[in-house]
Amino acid sequence: MKNKLKIFRTIKNLTQEQLADKLNVSRQTVIAIESGKYLPSLGLAFKIAVFFKVNIENIFIYKQQEE
Amino acid sequence: MTLCKDVYTIIVMNIKKYEKIKSSVIIFIIAIITISIFSKLYLLAVVGILTGILFFSIVRFKTDIAIDEREQEIKEKAANITYAIFVPTISIGSFLLLVPSLSSSSVFSQGEFIFTETLGIIFAYLTLFLITLYTISYFFLNRKFGGKSDEK
Repeated sequence: MKNKLKIFRTIKNLTQEQLADKLNVSRQTVIAIESGKYLPSLGLAFKIAVFFKVNIENIFIYKQQEE
Repeated sequence: MTLCKDVYTIIVMNIKKYEKIKSSVIIFIIAIITISIFSKLYLLAVVGILTGILFFSIVRFKTDIAIDEREQEIKEKAANITYAIFVPTISIGSFLLLVPSLSSSSVFSQGEFIFTETLGIIFAYLTLFLITLYTISYFFLNRKFGGKSDEK
């Protein structure tokens, strides 16, 4: 699973800390999601999508080969 | 008015604020416990611990603190690993401690290993207790998260 969270965050001109505050998660969580080390829950993924006003699949890209 | 503002501040507390308050309260409780132990006022230490537990229970119950899901997942995995390591370790430990007392050797049968045997029995009961607790919580959580049998 790839994601474009860093790109969306940069477009919005937000720091990881600010985004973490907006999403009510820790900064470490944002760092882990951006680096692809942690897959967010469906709830958090939707929260991120709603925050950036885009569809969930615009941020998180599912790769079928991973299965 | 100030009180209302303070209450509101607590209710909308985010993780950062909660962590700060938690650290302060923990430091305060540790200080109380240390002082009470050095002063040999053990009741005060117990009261300090109970107050701390009560405070955190109320804060968590009354406020809407979102738990960081990554941290939660780490905790779950850590608990799983701890269980997976701890249970076999103490079960093997209990077996090894009980073996000498079961042996037909005269040295062991004379009760010289009474303490190891007692420790072995405690470990065995601890193993059983942990497995029972795990099984009960597993079935409870399985039911809670909809793992019942299929409805007709």
